[in-house]
Amino acid sequence: MLSRSLARIALAVCALASPWLAPLAAQSANGTLTGKITDAANGQPIGNVQVSIVGTTLGALTNQDGVYVVRGIAPGAVTVRAIRIGFSEARGTATVSAAQTITLNLQLKAVPATLNPVVTTVTGEQRRIEVGNSIAQVNAEQVVETRGVANVADLLTSRAAGVMVVPGVQTGAGVRVRIRGTSSIALTNNPIWVIDGIRVDGSTGSSSVSVGGTTPSRVGDLNPEEIESMEVVRGPSAATLYGTDAANGVIVIKTKRGVAGKPQWTYYTEQTGLQDRNQYPTAYRAWRTGTTGTTNSTAINTVQCFLTQQASNACRVDSLTAFNLHDDKETTPYGTGYRTQHGIQVKGGSESVRYFLHGEYENEDGVTKVPEFEQRYLSRLGLSLLPDQRNPNALKKYTTRANLNLTLSPKADITVSSGFTNQNVRLPSSDDSGTAGIAANTYGGPGFKYNLTATGDTLFGWRQFTPRDVYQRTTNQEINRLINSVGANYRPSTWMFMRANVGIDFINRVDTQLCRFQNCADIGQERLGFKIDNRTNFFTYTADVAATATKKLTDGIESKTTFGGQMYRTIFDRNGAQGLVLPPGAVTVTAGATKTADESSSETRTLGGYIEENLGFGDRLFLTGAVRSDRNSAFGADFKTVFYPKLAASYVISQESFFPKWSWLDQLRLRSAYGASGVQPGTIDAVQFYSATQGRGESGEVPALVYSTLGNRNLRPERSTELEVGIDGTYFGGRVNSEITWYNKLSKDALVSRILPPSLGTGATARLENLGEVRNRGVEALISAQLVQRRALGLDVQLNLSHNDNLLQSLGGQPTIGTTQQQRAGYPLYGWWSRQLTGFEDKNGNGIIEYNASDALSEITVTDTNVFIGYSTPRTEAAFTTGIDLFNKALRLSAMVDYKGGMKIYNNTERIRCASRLNCRAIADKNASLFDQARAVMVREHPSRSVAGYFEDGDFLRFRELSATYQLPTALVGSYFRGRNLTATASVRNLGILWTKYTGVDPEAFGNTGDAPSEFQAFGPPTYFALRISFGF
Amino acid sequence: MSRYSTMRGFFHRAISLRPMRLAALTAATAAATLAAGACTPSDFLQVTDPDIINPGDVASPAGANAIRLGAIARLNSATTGGESLLLLGGLFADEWNNGDSFIARQEIDQRTITPQNNFLTDANRALHRARLSAAQAVELLRQYNPTAPTWQAAEMYFVQAYVENLAAEHYCSGLVFSSVANGAEVYGRPLTTAEAYAQALAHADSGLALVTGTTADANRVRGALQVTKGRILLNLNRPADAATAVNGVATNFQYLMYHSLVTNINQYWNFNNLAGRYSVSTNEGTNGLNFATANDPRVPVCLGGDVACRAINVTKATRDDLTAPYYVQRLWTTQESPIAIVSGAEARLIEAEAQLRAGNSTTSLGTLNTLRGTFSLPALTDAGTDAARVNQLFRERALTLFGRGTRTGDMRRLIRQYGRAANTVFPTGAWHKGGNYGSDVTLPLPLAEQNNPTPGAGVCIDRNA
Repeated sequence: MLSRSLARIALAVCALASPWLAPLAAQSANGTLTGKITDAANGQPIGNVQVSIVGTTLGALTNQDGVYVVRGIAPGAVTVRAIRIGFSEARGTATVSAAQTITLNLQLKAVPATLNPVVTTVTGEQRRIEVGNSIAQVNAEQVVETRGVANVADLLTSRAAGVMVVPGVQTGAGVRVRIRGTSSIALTNNPIWVIDGIRVDGSTGSSSVSVGGTTPSRVGDLNPEEIESMEVVRGPSAATLYGTDAANGVIVIKTKRGVAGKPQWTYYTEQTGLQDRNQYPTAYRAWRTGTTGTTNSTAINTVQCFLTQQASNACRVDSLTAFNLHDDKETTPYGTGYRTQHGIQVKGGSESVRYFLHGEYENEDGVTKVPEFEQRYLSRLGLSLLPDQRNPNALKKYTTRANLNLTLSPKADITVSSGFTNQNVRLPSSDDSGTAGIAANTYGGPGFKYNLTATGDTLFGWRQFTPRDVYQRTTNQEINRLINSVGANYRPSTWMFMRANVGIDFINRVDTQLCRFQNCADIGQERLGFKIDNRTNFFTYTADVAATATKKLTDGIESKTTFGGQMYRTIFDRNGAQGLVLPPGAVTVTAGATKTADESSSETRTLGGYIEENLGFGDRLFLTGAVRSDRNSAFGADFKTVFYPKLAASYVISQESFFPKWSWLDQLRLRSAYGASGVQPGTIDAVQFYSATQGRGESGEVPALVYSTLGNRNLRPERSTELEVGIDGTYFGGRVNSEITWYNKLSKDALVSRILPPSLGTGATARLENLGEVRNRGVEALISAQLVQRRALGLDVQLNLSHNDNLLQSLGGQPTIGTTQQQRAGYPLYGWWSRQLTGFEDKNGNGIIEYNASDALSEITVTDTNVFIGYSTPRTEAAFTTGIDLFNKALRLSAMVDYKGGMKIYNNTERIRCASRLNCRAIADKNASLFDQARAVMVREHPSRSVAGYFEDGDFLRFRELSATYQLPTALVGSYFRGRNLTATASVRNLGILWTKYTGVDPEAFGNTGDAPSEFQAFGPPTYFALRISFGF
Repeated sequence: MSRYSTMRGFFHRAISLRPMRLAALTAATAAATLAAGACTPSDFLQVTDPDIINPGDVASPAGANAIRLGAIARLNSATTGGESLLLLGGLFADEWNNGDSFIARQEIDQRTITPQNNFLTDANRALHRARLSAAQAVELLRQYNPTAPTWQAAEMYFVQAYVENLAAEHYCSGLVFSSVANGAEVYGRPLTTAEAYAQALAHADSGLALVTGTTADANRVRGALQVTKGRILLNLNRPADAATAVNGVATNFQYLMYHSLVTNINQYWNFNNLAGRYSVSTNEGTNGLNFATANDPRVPVCLGGDVACRAINVTKATRDDLTAPYYVQRLWTTQESPIAIVSGAEARLIEAEAQLRAGNSTTSLGTLNTLRGTFSLPALTDAGTDAARVNQLFRERALTLFGRGTRTGDMRRLIRQYGRAANTVFPTGAWHKGGNYGSDVTLPLPLAEQNNPTPGAGVCIDRNA
């Protein structure tokens, strides 16, 4: 049904366009322009350069030989513009004569990818200098080739100022992206994702079964190998025309396209080793000798003598032991993971038809392995784990893509893009996955190696369960995803451009979790067996039409007017089933002795329209005004339409005659933009309703209804407005570039989950109301420089900087929301709050910090009320990238170091070790620092039970990437391998933390992708050692 | 045919226009597009969600009945089908010890509770949900099913009376009973504990006035209302009235909460037997009773991993936090075990207390011993002194009603009605996981209640017993 719908859409587009496909013969009264575009550095032809006739809609792309042909040009003088990702804009002029072909060759100079001359906007591609916003760009093709990128998170991390990316720490784990801070209290802060003109699902936390915290995100389905460029539209001022939902920014992806010419094949393979090189905490135990089971420490119990008990003479320590199971090769759950990737691409075509085809296989086994002691145990008993259980963390992915560009005439072309992904992710029970999870058992160990179960089995320092049981809980997510779009461009005249895009992102997600009969940890009813099987379909439809009229109003003024409309429709459709108590051998829900099923669905629809007017004055001042209106099915019954305005100005002031002409300054541009955008509420947030439930009586279960929620008839979208001001400069002949932006984003009508007082008795605990006001203010800077540019040696550097100041200005009079993480007016969103440790002193000099109810005797002091401890997300980010080119650019060495700071991280792992697992050093060892003792005493013995001591400075400096790429000489490749090019890249990702005050495993070791995650029994991120070979033929 | 009857004609004409006219045309077209976006037929934006039940769907006899059954389901969640005050109150008192790592449970066990305690907030919401559902059912039955058996509406009054009394027994003074009427909030004001009991009593009386039949259902509801009324009157320090209220309730009467494997398991089994997050306590904090070691058939207990525990499929020897001893209750040993939240045994205990308060200790002892006989327990002898008799009575109450949510209320009554000092009633001294017990004798109101715009809502009037 899906493919039939798409076929109908494509047919309709063609039918609409057909009357306008003027025959080439009709152009004979006009002239033709042709030429070759080459690289200024080496004279090599450049394919896929967009060549356009300024002031018209006429244009063409170069083929593999760098040749372009533009037909149908009215006779007279024309200005030609050539632009391509990775190169600066080039211009030339020519005089075209009727029925003649004129030649104009141009050369392009390479620039950093972040300063491409063209950016993508809702109204189409636009020259960077015409746009009043800063739009970050990532040259995906180049990054993938040279940096050892495994996924889209790697592609985006630390490459765009103001874009915070928290990568997952396990194979297949999701990524969290925040752009210019956190704006929404109650709704998603995820940006929206657009691929080839259509909306796609980029949600985080995309799973319906729990492994504790780690979840895949749908961004992980995307394949970086297929991406040509990625642009980040940062805030409402730039994203206005994307409409409701775009307030958190937009990430615009263009996939690769074919280039006219003979087929160009590229085979690539990547072989990667994964290692967990993190330092995990050591477990301690203070042993005591007693006379009874409750006073005598044994290998089978947990009896200890803690420091504060020693201080009060309640017990005496015999010995202190320490054991770190992660550092012991017999007991560590971490081994060497392996990732393999094979892909092949071909692109080519003619002037009329261009194609890009891609297929890839990827397989990654994570670092979680069966420890040696467990292998011995299983071997001794003649047992074995199933393959899925031996490698509980893995990913297998097949990706295909077919992109087609059809040039129907100089006036019309059609683009068909089709990508398919089949992916299977297997995640181990980790993080906060309860007592049966890996981390609960590795972090919770007793502080010695040979601890015993009640039945005498050795646990080898694990807390309660070992991998033979823990790994048997198998959690899988299978994805089948189709992202299809059809785009049509039509230029009925030299001044009119029309386009349409329709498409669908379809995801079929199957989440399963299985414990076979007599498998898994002996906890709860797991060993009786269960199977969860949840099947969900997600549909995201896009229809987008627009028309742009360009007119030269006077010699110096050019007008561009665009109007358009969009429709978005998303559908969530799920069926879930669970079977409990399985017979031996059974792996299906059907086999369960007790079965349950559920059904859930939701849908949202958005209709929007917009108009935008661009005025260009002398190709140096550009003014933009626009307004968009949206209606949405989730708005309240009493709220209909939202309007979002936009104003922007870009001024290349250095081109003015009055501006001083300094030899070192090439161009200076001032820009500013103001705009609004929104985030829509959930599908049923506005309505009052009841929910179905089951009552249970003597005669069995009966259907029943309960009151659920009040609804809100006035519910409307969150509305964010943003003012952005910036200055961009190019210096020293293009060798140095800078881009500095200040922004002030204000989210009014911020949706607050207003906590409903329990006494109302509603099923819902909160109701969305447009009450809040959140401000994000900050600066972003991008500085790049080509410091050395010689044949034998090149050296370039790039610095990305951003600082964000987040403030919840108002909660609409509502009381503070939250406990240790609060939304409190006058403070940042998701800030950490608690009763603070204000002092500690070993008053009695016994080397042990103690609490006493008497202030005079107590050795810790704690505030009486909760105080603000700090931001939960980084306020400042910086990334420094450098590249060295050697041997005429045959060898390139690259490195990236990044910094995140200004936040506190909740070291919840250490908190649970001290407060509950009772194996942290601070409660057992007198040599532990007094501060560590004090925070442990506060959380364990002070009436506040405050966790404030575990909010630690989270600033860190990470060596993120190191890579070397060698390109074999073309002649050598041709003669020895009969190929076009051969490139080898060796890279290391996440080399380690260079500096941090954080004492936990890793300041990015977050299992979940929420807005303020804490490190809670999470794994640290692994290090990837990759070797990539790419062969073009 | 118009000269612009085709798109081609339109654009050809447009090309020939002068710039200003062209701009005007473009603007007009754009405005039309924008307007289309704003005025698109509403039916496109009309989305139905099959997951929800609209208010109109309950405006019928069947709808009213479904809401009534929903109120029973809510009561179940507010008592034995959730981590309710029956469990949390027992943790706060001396029935249970904490056996896991959650601070929110630990601070309840330690009697140092913060208003943001999420488990207590959830338990509080569960109570009010039951209350609201029952009130809605009364109204819907009146409107759409006036000929329904009167015990149905009476049972809804019982639900309200029961949860209001339970709340008043546990929370500090300042309880709020809000409501929803016609889809809008109706916020209540802070009530003193006595006022809360008075409201519960009024609901019990409303129910009793309605339940006139003699069918099994009517008798079941009447018995529940009588015992609940007696319990409320006892809390109001009117023991004689309480005894009158429970008169005639059979000793073997039980008002049961039912559980199922799939949707609604018995939470004593879940939190104690299965997860080990609770352990039956014994002599907790000096003052606590020896529930786990009393070897009393009214509180049958096994030690995790022993023969008796293995017989009920509890094989592990330690609590969730790996500590021992792990005491497991054997009253409700499966997920489906039904639990009596109101019983005739409680009626006899109310009568015994009234008799003792009336100075008739011999009769009181006789009543207790008759009740003990139903559990095959030997008779007690006179404790000798008034204080000892009170201790004896309250021990009998504690063991007979273990886990049914009465213990905190009883401890508070010992302070309030019998003049005992709090540190002679509640657990005190060193807490079993480090530090000392606090001084709370009531649960604080949940912080979330401060979202109630009524002045003073969500703040305890006092924390007295």
